[in-house]
Amino acid sequence: MNQDKIVADNVTMRFGDVVAIKDATCNIKEREFVAIIGPSGCGKSTFLYVIAGFESASGGRIELDGKPITGPGPNRGVVFQEFVLFPWRTVMENITLGLDIQKVPPKQARKRAQKWINLTGLTGFEDAYPATLSGGMKQRVAIARALTYDPEVILLDEPFGALDVQTKNYMINDLQNLWTEANKTIVMVTHSVSEAVLLADRVLIFSARPSSIIADIEIDLPHPRGAEDEAVRDYENQVTRILSAEVDKSMSMERRAAA
Amino acid sequence: MSQAILNHAPAAGRNKLFDRVCVPIISLGIPLLIWEFLSRSGLINDFLFPSPSQILGVLWGKSGLQFETGILYGHVYASMMRLLWGLFLATVLGTLIGMLIGLTRWGKFIFKPLLSLFMPVPTLAWTPILLLLIGVDNKTTILIVFIAASFEVILNVIAGIENMNVKVFWVARSMGASRLQIFFKVIIPGIMPYLITGMRLGSGYAWRALIAAEMLAASSFGLGFMIYEASEFMDMTTIYGGLFMIALLGFFIENVLMGMLEERTTRKWGVQVER
Repeated sequence: MNQDKIVADNVTMRFGDVVAIKDATCNIKEREFVAIIGPSGCGKSTFLYVIAGFESASGGRIELDGKPITGPGPNRGVVFQEFVLFPWRTVMENITLGLDIQKVPPKQARKRAQKWINLTGLTGFEDAYPATLSGGMKQRVAIARALTYDPEVILLDEPFGALDVQTKNYMINDLQNLWTEANKTIVMVTHSVSEAVLLADRVLIFSARPSSIIADIEIDLPHPRGAEDEAVRDYENQVTRILSAEVDKSMSMERRAAA
Repeated sequence: MSQAILNHAPAAGRNKLFDRVCVPIISLGIPLLIWEFLSRSGLINDFLFPSPSQILGVLWGKSGLQFETGILYGHVYASMMRLLWGLFLATVLGTLIGMLIGLTRWGKFIFKPLLSLFMPVPTLAWTPILLLLIGVDNKTTILIVFIAASFEVILNVIAGIENMNVKVFWVARSMGASRLQIFFKVIIPGIMPYLITGMRLGSGYAWRALIAAEMLAASSFGLGFMIYEASEFMDMTTIYGGLFMIALLGFFIENVLMGMLEERTTRKWGVQVER
């Protein structure tokens, strides 16, 4: 198997008195698609931001290619739930921003962007401004933007979380081949079991706060997968069982805190 | 940061033309006609309230369109130049100060208390100081415009920076952007809609302050000076003519000039600044 790309060793994250993450340990291999799932508020997005270098861990060790992560860098591309597009740039200008920053000549940048524009289904929208696009289209722009400057790792922070159910299901299906084509190390945070099982090679389950990784389930199925496949359903049930126990815990914790 | 809106104009051309041209003509025309009638018939004092046609006649007489008496042009030109220079200064320095307050701790430390202290001072209250410092000069009136406009520019630039989503910076940094690149590619365009809102509001305040300041601190030219001088000669028609020009130019600056600026930026991007 491939070598380790990202190594987290006893990562701890504290915000004041609150311990969000406690001793999270995992290895993510090169070109692996890993989904992180857990009860809401468990710190899974924070864990992703630590990998991205936006936040630094309060304790433990986190490494990329054997080197400690000290800040964000162009070897990691991020896609946020809220898209975070630049309204003053057209679709094409948003997507070529990374290459523009890296001083790639515009002509070459547009050529490289076109590949991902086509693969994300944005053809014909190159000159549109983000404000004129639907949520689903905006997220396609954000995904194409992260892929175009060719980072080694793609970090997806609940990428379909802001979309309505129909759009979300359509996009998950429509983009299945994209991830295979991208052939990158991908870490996706999600709260949807079916999203995780459909897309990922491995699902890591975070516990309620203080979170650590309590289960590591390999999804040993070929891509593309169908939501109705029996094997997919079996995996979904398996993940759901572990997850709902954690959700119960985190809910009762919240109730206790409120009381 | 801001709310996105979709821009489309489904209204039929005829209705739009009716709303934008016919309605103002009717709603302004009727009172003017009544005024004209009252003034001419002698029902109101035609010295204190000269008829609109007389006022237009005086404006025409003073306009540059008639040889040898092109005096109105000089007044309009003087006021407009003062406004534009003052606005230019307010935009450049106001953006700079706003960014220092919004982006640096020491900038906030130095400028924020000064801003809070001087905000409530009416711009015109600065005139005596400026008159003593500079005297009756274009610089005095330009500085009045600058003071009047810069508060709005500064406050809006600060609001623009404060309303920026931290993730915008994260995206840029994860692409390897340097501090300089973040400044020019993220911060500057990001505050643009707010800066334009600041300029629009600032230009309105500045125009009003300028006309008043010209009454105190202008020699020989400027619309404010024109009506002030006319009052000394009890020339009511010129006073009304001046007021008319001030209203017309104020509308032009705030709506046409700033509207053009908005058309090229915020409206094209579908971004709206809430105020």
